[in-house]
Amino acid sequence: MIGHDVFLPTPLPVLCVGITVMLAATAWRRSVDRSFLSGMVTLLLALAFVGHHTGTAPDNGDSLFIQDRWTNYTAILIMLSSMCILLMSWRDGTHDRTTLVDEYPLLCMLGALGALTMVFSANYMPFFLGLEILGISLMGLVTFRHRPVMQGCEAAMKYLILSGVSSAILLFGVGLAYGVTGSLRFMPPITTGDVSPALPVAATVMILIGMFFKLSVVPFHMWLLDVMEGAPVPVAAFLAVVSKIAIFSALVRYFGTGDQPPFLNDILYVVIILTIIGGNLLALRQTSFTRLLACSSIAHVGYLLIAFLCPGRLQSGAITVYLAAYTASTLGVFAIVTAMITPERPDGTVIAQWKGLFFSHPFLASAMSLMLLSLAGIPPGIGFFAKFEIAATGVEHQRNLLLGVLIIGSIIGLYYYLNIIRVMMTAPPLPSASLNRHVRPELMALVIVLTVIVVIGGLFPARAIHPLLPVSPVVPAMQNEMTMH
Amino acid sequence: MSPLPALVLLPIMGGGLAWLTERIQLHTATTSPPSRNASWWMMLATLIVETLLLAGITFGHPTRTGPWLEHFSMPWIPTMGIAVRLDLDGLSLSLIWLSLILCFLCACLATRQVTVKSGAFYFLFLMTLTGIIGTFVATDLFLFFFFWELMLVPMFVLIAVWGHEDRQRAALKFFMFTQGSGLLMLLSILGLVITHDRETGVLTFDYFALAQTPLSPTLSMLLMLGFFIAFAVKLPVVPVHVWLPDAHTQAPTAASVLLAGILLKTGGYGMIRFNVMLFPDAAIHFAPIAMGLGVVGVLYGAWLSCAQNDIKRLIAYSSISHMGFVVLGIFTGSRLGMQGAIIQMLAHGLSAGALFLIAGAIQDRLHTRDMHRIGGLWAAMPRLSASGLFFAVASLGMPGLGNFTGEFLVLLATWPVSPAIATLTTVGLVLAAIYALRMVNRVFLAAPRVDPLLLKDLPARQTAVFACVMIFLVVLGLYPQPFMIFSGPSPLSVTATTSREDHAP
Repeated sequence: MIGHDVFLPTPLPVLCVGITVMLAATAWRRSVDRSFLSGMVTLLLALAFVGHHTGTAPDNGDSLFIQDRWTNYTAILIMLSSMCILLMSWRDGTHDRTTLVDEYPLLCMLGALGALTMVFSANYMPFFLGLEILGISLMGLVTFRHRPVMQGCEAAMKYLILSGVSSAILLFGVGLAYGVTGSLRFMPPITTGDVSPALPVAATVMILIGMFFKLSVVPFHMWLLDVMEGAPVPVAAFLAVVSKIAIFSALVRYFGTGDQPPFLNDILYVVIILTIIGGNLLALRQTSFTRLLACSSIAHVGYLLIAFLCPGRLQSGAITVYLAAYTASTLGVFAIVTAMITPERPDGTVIAQWKGLFFSHPFLASAMSLMLLSLAGIPPGIGFFAKFEIAATGVEHQRNLLLGVLIIGSIIGLYYYLNIIRVMMTAPPLPSASLNRHVRPELMALVIVLTVIVVIGGLFPARAIHPLLPVSPVVPAMQNEMTMH
Repeated sequence: MSPLPALVLLPIMGGGLAWLTERIQLHTATTSPPSRNASWWMMLATLIVETLLLAGITFGHPTRTGPWLEHFSMPWIPTMGIAVRLDLDGLSLSLIWLSLILCFLCACLATRQVTVKSGAFYFLFLMTLTGIIGTFVATDLFLFFFFWELMLVPMFVLIAVWGHEDRQRAALKFFMFTQGSGLLMLLSILGLVITHDRETGVLTFDYFALAQTPLSPTLSMLLMLGFFIAFAVKLPVVPVHVWLPDAHTQAPTAASVLLAGILLKTGGYGMIRFNVMLFPDAAIHFAPIAMGLGVVGVLYGAWLSCAQNDIKRLIAYSSISHMGFVVLGIFTGSRLGMQGAIIQMLAHGLSAGALFLIAGAIQDRLHTRDMHRIGGLWAAMPRLSASGLFFAVASLGMPGLGNFTGEFLVLLATWPVSPAIATLTTVGLVLAAIYALRMVNRVFLAAPRVDPLLLKDLPARQTAVFACVMIFLVVLGLYPQPFMIFSGPSPLSVTATTSREDHAP
């Protein structure tokens, strides 16, 4: 199955080499700054090689990896987000100064490697490897919060157990799929005649459940809130952005972008409705910023799945723009939250602590409002256009129920996003001179860049949808196979 | 080169400059009083340039070729068929004039009191203006929706930061209602576009192209309802009016004027431009319900207005009542009713805007809006009281003033359709007299209840500004003919490039 000539997208070996170098450097002499720096350089290099690959792809599609515009796009998103997250974590005020934390960038890089592997995989094996690399490095990252040690450990334990369970379910599904088709190709199993049709359906559902766990859609979402709250803020951003993009990318790769089989349609319908309503309702009562963002990220995955369920001309544009909008806005929000957490103010994630931010940090507060409005789908942020596209795909397919849910979810969402803005506008109880007015310059730069992206993307979204990706080249292959059978 | 993009973008850019001016001055000079003026002058300059531009458009077309005065088009998102399409007809033009006049009023009378972060206030104020003007000229449905949503954000901030005691709840309510209904309109827009795409194979958001879409009656009704709900919330029509009294009461004076004077008119504008003109058949079928809602609005708004003790709340409820006339006029289906509705919008914009300014002036002096605690202002403040009396009388529909013309035309157009509705509506006029005169009695004429030392009458300059508005109202009341002809919406099929005179005398 695997020839000598291994087809390998270049970013993967680049990342591997970079991580090995980092590891060796850590063994030689420990230095946090150097570790972060080499992480950034590695990511930049990998980014530069994103369109390249070694070896030739076999014609029959039986390779371990695949590379097309969709993988490249999501890979770029993942690498850029990882860079943002590294930047946020560098000189993180909550880190314990007494211990060196150069494992942190290493684990971040490993997580990015896992995510990239998932994106590029065209076979169950690299997919599962990537999933586990991502999961295990995330477990390490989650414990990096030193302030309440127990909370970090608790979050990591929750993550470990639930991630293990979901991996087991997924693996079971993969095994069933292999049993049905005798192939490890990364696509839904198709019956070959004499096998009972229930088996491939069971395999697909189990794989889907495994993915849903990682994607944290609603019946499988319980872990996300606690884990994100217990984790350091940049790691929460990693969970909300990088790992979700990777899983979503794999989901699209796996099921293709055509019409889904009816049983899958029904499952997705129910899951989307639950996810949007559940995520938004959960967010209403949150008092912690990271928990609220966790809920909102659940809801956003629900919106994305609407576009996934509506194949057609508008679909790829909608998914692309939405991913970009979600990534930029969420990262922006997390960057600002990071900026607000200082050693003097470790409880910066409590929403009530944000009172009067418009008076103490006008720029940060304005940027924050812009990001939140973009997440809520209000112009001029890019989120407006993204939500518009999602609604367009839904209307094109007349998914009226989903559209109704989208509207209800958006209105609930608007309430809690606006509520944060409201809190920031409330005059502070006392002039807080103790507030740290100094924001780390690299964070400031990051916030500015993300703000510019959000605004420019919102005003001129044509550029964002111009290099439209034919989302899944797996589809023709699959259809060929279907016609063959 | 069409001046329309400049018309839309000028306010927001001027606002940005005003904000910058303030920030620069704050950094360079520590003495604050003169620095505040610079950004105010910047705002005034922006408004003046904008007015000159608009005047140029209005009077600079001796060789007007068609009912659409100006046209501008530039691709924006070609893959989705979205373009920056701006068109200007008499309806848009007259509403933009109304917006500018009210902005001048606010700039002269209401923004000097803003002392906290005034630069940001001016910026948001002008940004709202950009959203409003954009709404009035956009003929690409996506662009229209963009502006429609865009104007909410600055208004939300204006209310939430500079408003009165319960401002934040009011601001939230305002935003949620308008945005939620806006999403329904978004679905309608998309439904129309996708249907057009299915029928013709062209994906476009062009207003004129979409107007030609063949629609089944049911679909047409559904799509029209989506638009109608959004506009009904904005206008507001009665069951969905709950945001309005709070928002108007809690907003700072300038924002109240913008809200009552222009933001509500975007709802009326949308009903004319989109409901009636895009879906004429569905609108005819829907007309009985809409007219029923209109009457309910007229009576309910007036009835509640009679029971208010808060001046701003009273004016807010009276706005609901007056907007009922607009719905009624638009859905009579006759040209006369439409003209009446437009005149009513213009006149109400002026009179309600002025009333809010007077209420704001009273509140600045007395720090209360409660009519039980205000009284007998006439002796101490004759100029302010006289203006208040004038605008209150205008708002109750005194013949000879603009509001009367509008209401009369609407009633005239309603009578042939349904005498019963016309009769019922007339009761609203009686109620209007009750609440308006009650306000006049309590506030201006009753026995003095406050320390006269607090009361400083309007300065002469501000009285002059009010006098200008009075003149406008009188002109609208005595000689409405040119406005009736001029401000009608242009027919769909004709753009500025083709020539056809379609103006009824």
